[in-house]
Amino acid sequence: MTTSAVTSADIARETPRSDFGRILAQRERRFAAALLAPAFLALLATTTFPLLFLVYTSAFRMDLAMPFTNGFVGFENYQVLLSDERFWTSLLVSLVYTGSTVALQVIIGLALALLVMDMKRGQGWFRVIAILPVVLSPAVVGMIWRTFMLAPEFGIVDFLAINAGLGSKNWLGDPTLAMVSVIAIHTWQWTPFAFMVLLASLASLPEDIYEAARLDRASAWQRFRRITLPLLRPAIVMVIIMRTMVALTAFAAIFTVTGGGPGTATEILNLYAYRKSFTELSIGYGAALAVALLIVTIIISGILFALRRAK
Amino acid sequence: MTAKRLRAIALLAISIVFLLAWAFPIIWSVLNSLKTDSDVLAYPPKLVFSPTLEAYRDVLFGSGSILPNLLSSAIISVGTTIVTMLMAVPAAYALARLRFHGKKFAGFYLLATQMLPPVGIIIPYFLVLRNIGWIDTYQGIILIYLSFSLPFAIWLLVSYFEDIPFEMEEAAYLDGASRLKTLWRIIIPQVRGGIAVTVVFVFLNAWNEFLFAVVLSGNTVRPVTVAMFNFVSVEQTLWAKLAAVSVLAMLPVVVLGVVAQKHIVKGLTVGAVKGGGRR
Repeated sequence: MTTSAVTSADIARETPRSDFGRILAQRERRFAAALLAPAFLALLATTTFPLLFLVYTSAFRMDLAMPFTNGFVGFENYQVLLSDERFWTSLLVSLVYTGSTVALQVIIGLALALLVMDMKRGQGWFRVIAILPVVLSPAVVGMIWRTFMLAPEFGIVDFLAINAGLGSKNWLGDPTLAMVSVIAIHTWQWTPFAFMVLLASLASLPEDIYEAARLDRASAWQRFRRITLPLLRPAIVMVIIMRTMVALTAFAAIFTVTGGGPGTATEILNLYAYRKSFTELSIGYGAALAVALLIVTIIISGILFALRRAK
Repeated sequence: MTAKRLRAIALLAISIVFLLAWAFPIIWSVLNSLKTDSDVLAYPPKLVFSPTLEAYRDVLFGSGSILPNLLSSAIISVGTTIVTMLMAVPAAYALARLRFHGKKFAGFYLLATQMLPPVGIIIPYFLVLRNIGWIDTYQGIILIYLSFSLPFAIWLLVSYFEDIPFEMEEAAYLDGASRLKTLWRIIIPQVRGGIAVTVVFVFLNAWNEFLFAVVLSGNTVRPVTVAMFNFVSVEQTLWAKLAAVSVLAMLPVVVLGVVAQKHIVKGLTVGAVKGGGRR
């Protein structure tokens, strides 16, 4: 705090026993409570309450299609879940989807940021065009790709594939190609995010270190390995954490493009929980799946935060 | 020198490929929205065609018009923005400026709420809203949108509140103005820019949200992202119309995104735990 004015908080700190200070501090606390109350009550209602109610729901059989079987089942949903092949498959699909999209975003985003950083002209183009994908609704992005890009023959991707001699492919009908497609779409939409954040971090790095390195005859690769990468590490880790959280709960684009299909080829855990609850109407089991997703999210973010602390 | 030239040309080529890759799907949708269905389906894809506004006329004023859906999206986004800002501005000010017990915990709680997957929020909320008859209502959707818009707006606003100097509010306060008056008259005008940026982002996120919308929408409240699916069915896809709807759904957010260009990185990374400083 670099202020010359004496704040009420200062007074309160300086003279803890004076009535004046105590009253001021107390007033400040009350004012703070009044200002915070609406937002935090709304957050309690829309995040904490649903969490508790979700865990509660997961202990019930709640079939909207067959209400007569409903009732308290305790941990039965979780027992079923552990031996549910579709659950383990969806978990694997989630991990593959998250791992590959995040890795691609960071690698391509970093490479582009380094490239654009050295540009004398044309940086502005990148800055404007990179904004386009990230502000779009993933549902709309999914729809555009599903139709105008990936449709057989007149879709641009298929057209390019035909001209590259690969032939027309059933991009969304083949399990492997469908997975490649949804990974590519997510990467397309969010790489600009990694690019913009890393470009901003690159721009804030101190010039003089590089000058010194040049005088020391360090090669470009050495400068990258020994200076740029270590300095960028916090930003890269932040991007990885943020993008991992988003990829784990990706929904709209996959829902729009493949709906989790063909079969369950692109059904990430998030989508399985949705389908179970709102397509198959087994709300109790869907809730158990959502709890499982929450646990997976907590474990993965725990690992990432541990890595962040590790040197 | 030739090696250098080659390298420059290679870099230029890479740049152009990437710019095209990002821009093209969007440009292509715009072009397709100006075609007839037979032009959309042409092989090889047509870059040159006689443009028509027919698709737009149909989706806006024909039968099954999406005007009500655009209106739905607008009401949801504006409503979410207003409610969010009314709650987030005071909360952010308190977190940025005031001293009280439990401040650390409040910050932690704000971050923790974002760990909960949206699907875990919508499953119980679907049951609750069904019981009180709030499915397919604006209040139902706006209420649940607060779960992601509030933490985001509070974090973003805190970063702006922290930038303004203390002296102003202290002076006003010592002059005997009440705390609330000081906040309203002195402080809020100073973070006007930050508030505008926050409004843009909250609006954008509400406009783009899909999971909650798809579960809670019905015949009355059906935002454009959900209504899009009317144009793709098993029997047939209305290609040009679908393109026109996509463009209409993209238009507001692209405009806002370009307007808020300078602030976009801050808006995207807000609430992220800051990576440690330089070592």
